[in-house]
Amino acid sequence: MKRVKGTGLLMLMLAFIVVLSACGSSNGNSKENAASNSAGVKITLLNSKGEIQTQLEDAAKAFHEDNPDITLEIQAVPNGGSPFERASTLYASGNPPTMIMLDTGDVEKFKDRVLDLSGEKWNADTVANATDLTTFDGKNYAFPLAVEGYGFIYNKAVLDKAVGGTFDPATINTTDSLEKLFQQIEASGSKALVVSPMDWSLGAHYLPLAYAGQNKDMAEVNKFVDGLRAGTVQLGDNAVFNGLMDTFDVMMKYNIDQASPLAGVYERGPELLGKGEVGIWFMGNWAWPQINSFDTANGAYGFLPVPVSNNPTDYGNQEISSAVSKRIVIDKEKSTPEQQAAAKKFLEWIVYQDKGQDFLVNKASIIPAFKNITLPAADPLGKSLQDYIAIDRSEQSMSVLPADHWSILGASMQKYLSKAGDRALLVKEIEEYWKTAK
Amino acid sequence: MITEKGVWNRLRLRLLFTGPTLFAFITVMIIPFVYGIYLTFTSWDGISTTQTLVGFQNYGSVFKDAEFWKSFGLTLKYVLYTVVLTNVLAFLLAYILTTGLKGQSIFRAGFFLPNLVGGIVLGFIWQFIFNNVLVYLGQKAGIGIFSTSWLADPDHAFWTLVIVTVWQYAGYMMVIYVAGLTGVPNDVLEAASIDGASGWMKMVRMTVPLMIPSFIVCIFLSLQRGFMVYDVNLSLTKGGPFKSTEFVSMHVYQKAFLSRDYGVGQAEALVLFLLVAAITLLQVYFSKKLEVEA
Repeated sequence: MKRVKGTGLLMLMLAFIVVLSACGSSNGNSKENAASNSAGVKITLLNSKGEIQTQLEDAAKAFHEDNPDITLEIQAVPNGGSPFERASTLYASGNPPTMIMLDTGDVEKFKDRVLDLSGEKWNADTVANATDLTTFDGKNYAFPLAVEGYGFIYNKAVLDKAVGGTFDPATINTTDSLEKLFQQIEASGSKALVVSPMDWSLGAHYLPLAYAGQNKDMAEVNKFVDGLRAGTVQLGDNAVFNGLMDTFDVMMKYNIDQASPLAGVYERGPELLGKGEVGIWFMGNWAWPQINSFDTANGAYGFLPVPVSNNPTDYGNQEISSAVSKRIVIDKEKSTPEQQAAAKKFLEWIVYQDKGQDFLVNKASIIPAFKNITLPAADPLGKSLQDYIAIDRSEQSMSVLPADHWSILGASMQKYLSKAGDRALLVKEIEEYWKTAK
Repeated sequence: MITEKGVWNRLRLRLLFTGPTLFAFITVMIIPFVYGIYLTFTSWDGISTTQTLVGFQNYGSVFKDAEFWKSFGLTLKYVLYTVVLTNVLAFLLAYILTTGLKGQSIFRAGFFLPNLVGGIVLGFIWQFIFNNVLVYLGQKAGIGIFSTSWLADPDHAFWTLVIVTVWQYAGYMMVIYVAGLTGVPNDVLEAASIDGASGWMKMVRMTVPLMIPSFIVCIFLSLQRGFMVYDVNLSLTKGGPFKSTEFVSMHVYQKAFLSRDYGVGQAEALVLFLLVAAITLLQVYFSKKLEVEA
């Protein structure tokens, strides 16, 4: 009896030890892996541009062919999650990726954990102001990946038919001319436009036009935002805001979904626009792959500005909102010096190697933030955006809004869109939000 | 036996058996919980390398956060409807499926099935149904109430959540009620019949009082799940339209991870924990008093 009990205990102890050692050995293995890979370095990139996931994976393969000793693995931010959320979780679990693709406003939060990239060669070749927002105390912490812009995307085939000839985008520079265009489209048998009701579209793209459109000088825009924070700005009396919302009223009036304005989903926009059921969609150049899959206009699309008044020369009426939107940072906490060097090499590969440039411009349809890349944009939306930038008709997008701005004020915009709230309520909610915003 | 040495021996033996579980419980439950409480006293944003202590300021913010209390109120309303509807439906199903219906085990399995599907997947399935299938049918058949998406309207969106939750949990609760119903002793019911009790009387006076333990379990489970709901909320409505269906768990999550206000988010989570613990304990305490012996 005594013996049996002893054996039982021993068995239990053994089982317990096996379990524990199983945990231990996996740790040991991963260390061994890192060590035995000294010949080859393995790096990871957390991708937060879901639409280029496959292109990035192909680029990783191409990069590996050029640099056989470096293996790059692309991780994806889960659908609907923000890169900040995912990256902070990975940091908390002690397993951060080597490179993280962040939104511009997030870089500052990570600056204690990521490498200072000021010494990299590509800093000299960036477009103007590309790294201003990621430079702290004179050190640049992030690689500018893409220039993105947004406005009204038009289907040229539909608009040509509507105006009875060749549509000239320069004719749309006031709210009235926009409304007239909507009427012409409806008269020609299509619907005028689709307003996609996602909170990020309304809260992070449409509404910020009211801030960015205040002045061409970014310092004035920042002053305006400071005024909102301090509660000294009377938004209800602000001409740009009211002009923008007047345009929004017109959009609501001709919206194909006005019977149930909040029911639409993102995927509906490219389908309606591509098939020519509507002439116009408010969105950005990142939507090209989706529009392309429904394209019936032989790739003839372009951007129209969002007018904020009836005076054609007012700032914003002829400008398209654009900015450098995605940044890549390199972790310095857990990554080995070899991994950091490999990551830097990858960034350089994108900017200076033909294959890297080909990936960026032709495969991923990205407008690069580098002057030395002279490849023309591969898609009509990128081309249209580049044209606006080339003639200095671009408005700096708001890149460093508080993190919950799009969600909270996007909800307020949805309320307005579905007529559950009026403009006075919207003004009140925006003013309240900014007073408590971080 | 009860000497110093005996105590140690017994403790050692106990530790041997409970040690592994205790170790897991402490590392994955207790330590994070205590660390979470510590975080409520900081103004951490989730990523910065330093954590500043701010005292009780975060708790002040919890009581000033009108959205938190609004979503808590909404969650209470949701819990009320789901608890009542889930349990009524589950009891009815259980009652029907213990009357000796033909093929009743197939029905039982069928009603239980939704419970085996994860909440996220369920949310997407029902999103498709409410957004596309019902709208299509409504427009073709001219049924006004279905012709626009329920998910786009604040009141209807709330009810979609209630419907999906009831549909998901009714089967699970049904299983518990089936067990309870078959456990009611037949002799008691027979005695009641002989005394001339009608079917309804037997149900109200005999069956239901004898099934109180099942009710306690079911109501406790549906209460707790109702308060903690997140997955269906996320995948079905995402809190929309315009945050009108944002339940309290989602609000806490948004506060911590979206607004990057870890301290306040944690403090709200703690307040929520205390409130839910209080409500469920009260429920168990009071319904225990209703238990009877056959």
